[in-house]
Amino acid sequence: MGTVEVVKVGGVISPFRARAIVVGRRMQDIGLQVFHNKTAMAGLIILIFFTVLAVAAPLIAPYGPLSAVPDVGPLTLPAPGHPFGTNQFGYDIYSQVIWGTQISLLVGVLAAAVASVIGTAVGLVSGFVGGWIDEVIMRFNDVVLSIPWLVLMIVIAARLNYLDLVGIILVIGLTGWSVTARVVRSQVLSLKERMFVERGRMIGSSNTHILLRHIFPNAFPLIFANTILTVAVSILSESVLAFLNLSVKSNVSWGRIIAEAYQHDALTIGMAEWLIVPGLCIVFLVFGFYLFGYALDEILNPRLRRR
Amino acid sequence: MAALLEVRDLTIEFTTKAGIVHAVEGASFDVERGEALGLAGESGCGKTTTALALMRLLPYNGRIVRGSISFAGRSLVPLEEASMRAIRWKEMSIVFQGAMNSLNPVQRVGRQIAEPIILHEDADSDVALKRAGDLLELVGISRNRLNDYPHEFSGGMRQRVMIAMALACDPKLVIADEPVTALDVMIQAQILDLLERLRQELDLAMILISHDLSVLADTCEQVTIMYAGKTMESGKTMDLFTDPKHPYTQGLVGAFPDIRGPRNMPEAIPGDVPSLISPPSGCVFHPRCKFAFDRCSNAEPELSELAPGRRAACFLYPEVTEVPGRSMPIATR
Amino acid sequence: MNAGITIFGIICLNYLLIRLMPGDPSLSIIPRDPKFRGLRDYMISFFGLDRPQWEQFVIYLQRLFTLDWGLSYQDHRPVADILLHDLGWTLLLVGTSTILTVLIGIAIGAYSAIRRGKPFDFVSTGIGIFLYGMPIFWLGLVLQSAFRKNSVFQGWIPWWPALPTSGYYDDRLIPWNWDILHVADAFLHLLLPALTLSLGTLAGISLVMRNSLIDVMTEDFVTTARAKGLSPRQVLRRHILPNGMPPMVSLIALDIAFILGGAYQVEVIFRYQGIGFRTIEAIGSLDYPLLQFIIVIGGAAVVIANLLADFLLLWLDPRIKIS
Repeated sequence: MGTVEVVKVGGVISPFRARAIVVGRRMQDIGLQVFHNKTAMAGLIILIFFTVLAVAAPLIAPYGPLSAVPDVGPLTLPAPGHPFGTNQFGYDIYSQVIWGTQISLLVGVLAAAVASVIGTAVGLVSGFVGGWIDEVIMRFNDVVLSIPWLVLMIVIAARLNYLDLVGIILVIGLTGWSVTARVVRSQVLSLKERMFVERGRMIGSSNTHILLRHIFPNAFPLIFANTILTVAVSILSESVLAFLNLSVKSNVSWGRIIAEAYQHDALTIGMAEWLIVPGLCIVFLVFGFYLFGYALDEILNPRLRRR
Repeated sequence: MAALLEVRDLTIEFTTKAGIVHAVEGASFDVERGEALGLAGESGCGKTTTALALMRLLPYNGRIVRGSISFAGRSLVPLEEASMRAIRWKEMSIVFQGAMNSLNPVQRVGRQIAEPIILHEDADSDVALKRAGDLLELVGISRNRLNDYPHEFSGGMRQRVMIAMALACDPKLVIADEPVTALDVMIQAQILDLLERLRQELDLAMILISHDLSVLADTCEQVTIMYAGKTMESGKTMDLFTDPKHPYTQGLVGAFPDIRGPRNMPEAIPGDVPSLISPPSGCVFHPRCKFAFDRCSNAEPELSELAPGRRAACFLYPEVTEVPGRSMPIATR
Repeated sequence: MNAGITIFGIICLNYLLIRLMPGDPSLSIIPRDPKFRGLRDYMISFFGLDRPQWEQFVIYLQRLFTLDWGLSYQDHRPVADILLHDLGWTLLLVGTSTILTVLIGIAIGAYSAIRRGKPFDFVSTGIGIFLYGMPIFWLGLVLQSAFRKNSVFQGWIPWWPALPTSGYYDDRLIPWNWDILHVADAFLHLLLPALTLSLGTLAGISLVMRNSLIDVMTEDFVTTARAKGLSPRQVLRRHILPNGMPPMVSLIALDIAFILGGAYQVEVIFRYQGIGFRTIEAIGSLDYPLLQFIIVIGGAAVVIANLLADFLLLWLDPRIKIS
């Protein structure tokens, strides 16, 4: 990997098509490596499992996320028909856990996307332009990184008072881009030094052209791997906010199920599943993203590979 | 009397994900007391692996599959680790390529030089540090610099420190693996002079490893040429230089210009060192050899004696009969 | 120098954050009722809310540096007193768990690095990544349930211990004294929160330690050290560890903000009344004077931790020079 073959196909070939072929081959190559990497595959299988669960929730879950099980009261112990028992409103906890997958995945992925887009833009500009702009951006980044993220998030979430899905995604996304910005900036700095940029400049390309056509495509795999790791962090963030009753109120998420279990002392009343299962779901989903992200990082960033 | 170091049929393999790497196959050579042997060849041909194997320092995935190493009458291959540790640096030390990374960056050089003295001679640290100071002066560095860190020295100076360190316990044999690579030419000459002077003064045996034949020319009595893990040719340095037999040696000798001869452009050997996982059939050099004929790709030439003390593995030369009484090919002198 | 700029940045951002938020702080004290019109106007001028923004900012700075941080809306005590008190307990929690984590994390990381590819490495790395993805608040809840009085485990194993699961000392022991009983009691109360926080951060440290050491192990000077005849243990202690530490230190410094985030969750779960617990309370009661200085203190703590890390690096790595 890393070496880009010269594409030589008979006849004239447009530069755009040539790049498409090179990028395509590179992606194919990466895909093949992912396929042969046990860690990546283990992560991918976990991710596929939860994605299927989220998409097929309406088919799998016996009840809605916020609808009571008929003829069964609140806080009933696990029994056939409601394997994890019912919560304080008589809702089926088993169904809630399945529906919760949707919120966790959706918030995790979209918040990470927001964080990555901002972080990438900031990192690209900061690293490429350099000078005082870079200095100012990096100082600001230091400031944001220094304020404990949880406080920042809680304060914003609390002040916004009512949070819908978009609100929670923005809160997590807007507070989570600093690390990405740093990673992208250092990558841009090293890419900038590489020769092909010099060559690109010599044939009269504009800065924007170099940035978008040369640096961004080369930094992209790393950004992608970093985004996957950011998804894991975002899922954890959502669960913390939900636990503190600051997340989406109109739908159920794993963090909120745990909070309710905690408030009603699930373990003492013999409903261990209420507390344990949603927690394990978070752990496994995050585990899946970490495994996949780390493996991808290792594949795309050969310096880290085993020597 | 037996030579100080006798290596016979040394064969080393690495296990990697891609397959088994045949790093060194059937290497055999001797080093006498006070004598210098040169190991030459392009990078990736097994020189450094051979050096590491002599000290039993192969990486975790490498192992000696066959052959013997006899040092000062002791057989090193079956030796247990603890006894091997007692031999390392005390009797056999090594100077690595690029002293940049061979010195611990966060430890003062004085302590690094003193470390093996304390370890092997039970000296207390004052005595050891005093010795370290003497050693620094021996290699031409002021003892005031004992308390400096490696990054405060230039590349050439670091290599001197490394040499001082190698001499710390009065070893019988010093292995110098590419000691002057990555230094500029003036410094190279100084370091080579230093090595040669110390060898004479201290009566050291030395193995000098380099991809650059000119480095070996003035220092070594004997030279062995390696290619893709195999020995191609061996003999007295002068003979090898003035009359290279093996086409690979000819290529290497031709690759650097002779200042006395006619002004020709140095001739490069085309192609690259082959994969050591699946080496070419027959003679490993045949894909790059301009004299290659049918037999070269089918059979592997034995290392055979062309003249007393002169051996080559090539079908171009008539196989001289085996030396009576010796069944193993060795680089005799 | 940079640290100063960063702290100043935090102070400014904090000011902006509080002012840009929707909502009128005076409203949370005085109801918007015509009856209270006069009182409201008085309060507004008392808190200086009618002055120009820059003047308010100067006053904010002035009060920040003189520790004259005003009164908490909630319990009417000076904010500075409350926060200094809370900070002590949070430092105890974070300090204990960080020291614990660093020591154990380095040991595990070093051992897996040596045994790279062996079962120990595989298992510890697997558990590490698993723990790394565990929400700290959930881990706290599980541990709390496991070690409470009459926990499930006590039914199975007679000697299973019960540990205090909330507060930082037994309420019955108030007033607090520095005698052995109180200290031992506070220690018992610290056990579970510190354990939770440590488990939550341990994985990150041991994983990074492992990778950092594996990086160092491929360096040439490690081969030199082995060639000197040093035993594997000596090579590790004298050559590999000293070179593996600097990246660790910078990483822990970077992670401080993350560790603080974990500490906040732990404090809430165990009702351990440090800064984090106070934050959640302050948000609940809209106690803005308290809230704004909590942010400043949290930020300053991170900056100071980074500064300390820089000095530590200076001492650990001779190649780093004061710039």
